[in-house]
Amino acid sequence: MRIVRAAVAGSLESSDALVKVAPNDELEVDIQSTVMGQYGDAITTVVNETLEKLGVTEGFVSVDDKGALDFAIRARVQGAVFRGSDEQPDWSRL
Amino acid sequence: MLFVPGSNASWLSTVHVYGADTVMFDLEDSVALREKDTARILVREALMSPIWKDVEVCVRVNAIDTPFFRPDLEAIVPAGVAIVRLPMVRDADMVRELDRVLTEIEEKCGREVGSTKCMAAVESASGVVNAVQIAKASSRMVAIALAAYDYMIDMHTVRGTAADESELFYARCAVLHAARVAGIPCYDVVYSDVNDEEGFLREIGIIKRLGFDGKSLVNPRQIEPLHNAYAPTEAEVDRAKRVIEAADKAEAEGLGVVSLDGKMVDAPIVASAYRTVRLAELSGTRR
Amino acid sequence: MDAAPALSVVSVAHDPDDLVPVRALLAEQGLGLDDDVELFVTAHRGDDLVGCMGLAGNVVKCSAISDDERGFGLSARLMQEVTYQALDRGRSHLFVYTKPTNRRVFESLGFTFLAEVPGTLVLLENTPFGLARTCRQLRRHDYVPATRVGVAVLNANPFTRGHEYLVRTAAQNVDVLHVWVVSEDASMFSADERFELVRAGCAAVPEGDRIRVRRGTDYTVSRATFPSYFLGDEAEIVRGAAGLDLQLFREHLGPAIGATDRFVGTEPLSPITNLYNQEMHHWLEESASASPTIRVHEIERVAVGDAPVSASRVRALFAAGRLDELDALVPPTTLAYLRARAHTGQTSPTPSVKK
Repeated sequence: MRIVRAAVAGSLESSDALVKVAPNDELEVDIQSTVMGQYGDAITTVVNETLEKLGVTEGFVSVDDKGALDFAIRARVQGAVFRGSDEQPDWSRL
Repeated sequence: MLFVPGSNASWLSTVHVYGADTVMFDLEDSVALREKDTARILVREALMSPIWKDVEVCVRVNAIDTPFFRPDLEAIVPAGVAIVRLPMVRDADMVRELDRVLTEIEEKCGREVGSTKCMAAVESASGVVNAVQIAKASSRMVAIALAAYDYMIDMHTVRGTAADESELFYARCAVLHAARVAGIPCYDVVYSDVNDEEGFLREIGIIKRLGFDGKSLVNPRQIEPLHNAYAPTEAEVDRAKRVIEAADKAEAEGLGVVSLDGKMVDAPIVASAYRTVRLAELSGTRR
Repeated sequence: MDAAPALSVVSVAHDPDDLVPVRALLAEQGLGLDDDVELFVTAHRGDDLVGCMGLAGNVVKCSAISDDERGFGLSARLMQEVTYQALDRGRSHLFVYTKPTNRRVFESLGFTFLAEVPGTLVLLENTPFGLARTCRQLRRHDYVPATRVGVAVLNANPFTRGHEYLVRTAAQNVDVLHVWVVSEDASMFSADERFELVRAGCAAVPEGDRIRVRRGTDYTVSRATFPSYFLGDEAEIVRGAAGLDLQLFREHLGPAIGATDRFVGTEPLSPITNLYNQEMHHWLEESASASPTIRVHEIERVAVGDAPVSASRVRALFAAGRLDELDALVPPTTLAYLRARAHTGQTSPTPSVKK
């Protein structure tokens, strides 16, 4: 999916994550987390896998995690990407 | 059945620990218009998350005449939702339309056709009047529920404080009868004032006496009092176990008639005994 | 799981009555209410206002939470709503100016630190990619290898003979001169108009081939958007704005294009401008930094007759329709444009299309 506009999904409430995306000519991902020390690698893996499944190869993606479980991080990344894209979600790929 | 706002990641991540019989992820009223899209995704991911695999999860989708209805189903059916709760059901055609869309999506995503169950929420005068047809409209129907807010407006009245709750009496009876005719459970309205435990317990008393199978809940705090009110007493459980023993014995001996303590026990009593034991397994015995 | 305070949005222009409690809450926290705030997201518990956060352009400001409500995530909810309100208005890139003691709070709300004037204020932005990306773009598109690289930041409302003199003098002293035109829509001439006039004016001078004109970045801090609600007197405000602006320039933007010199006009009659220029010497030349020193050159104002050429004089004459008197004050490129615009009878600003 191509990110064509700036978009946001999620929240900064506990157990959630705020994901922001914006167009860019290469993929840049930034992850901040309240549990970075303990789960940083796991969160990074979830974010990267989700972007890969969505076919996002370009764009800024920033994830501000407040201790969200994997499913919520996946959902917030998807939400921000869908909002920042003009393409329809293809659930069979996710 | 505990309501959980589908846009709230925190609740979706924690509520499974409270022990509700069924949890309902809501995509309808508790979700702001702006979050319809992301709540749908969050609920879909929650459904596929291991933390919810041992809980019966129902998802309340948006009403059939909204633009969110179809996308809601497209997202959650492939994720394996057990039950879809359709709000604002006015007639049997709406249930049949839900059935048709579910079939279409099940076929497309390779799930067994008919595996997604549904329940209808009746929230209007026409829904109440058509309750029997609604309850019998599809083999997917596993429950029917009454919801009061829009129904009160429809009836030109409001929820009052009268102890008998007479403003809901007809609707409760009508929907309950429909459920019994169709052979499916029936759930009562939510009690939204979480801090009014007295009122909540009074309402439980009324619906239990009428015969409701349960109630929709808005807060985990309401689970325990509801379970307790519905839980049978130890004496009731003992008696039920003895009835079941007698029935098993009669069957083993090939007898058509069950007797206990010298009295004949009718089939409905045996069925009721099974329900009591099952309820005790789920809710424990009453405090 | 008690009910959280309910959020709503207050338009400063349309709901003046709702501003009364907002003003009171801000005052309770020792804050004022800046004039440029367009909307507030407010949080109520029952009838009581317990929190507010304002939006002015792309700046989040005037936020306060009552003492009882702190520590329950209310600021995160306010910020989320402000973020959505801004997105609805096409603004995804937000800044916050706040006291240094609030830095951690805003970092926890997804903001990234940009610069600090110790003891006075900090500047943060709501993306980890903003400043780095701008510097990368500057390096990619504007960097010219040279020994002496000058920068002049102009508002140019509009481009006058004073500006022309400044850029020519500057260009004569360096190998390449970058002219950055502040991007805000200031009073009479829009950002697009000002940019075009600077470009045309710079192209017309003999030194034009070594001048590169571009729009200012989002990291040019100007008094126009600068918050004053938590600062003291005008001098503190000017020092605060200058400190942020100049540190961003010294540490990030300047190095991206290899800047060695910065040029600025003097303003004999304006103590504010003089204060700003003093700050420029401090931050670019004197203060300790890992980045190289950038020399500051103050270029004296040209005068026509007794009075220095100023953009405000040009605007006054233009508004009064005295175009004949502008000849001495603006270069031919600007004059031609002003004549054309006067012909269409338009003396109010032309709205420019926001990026």
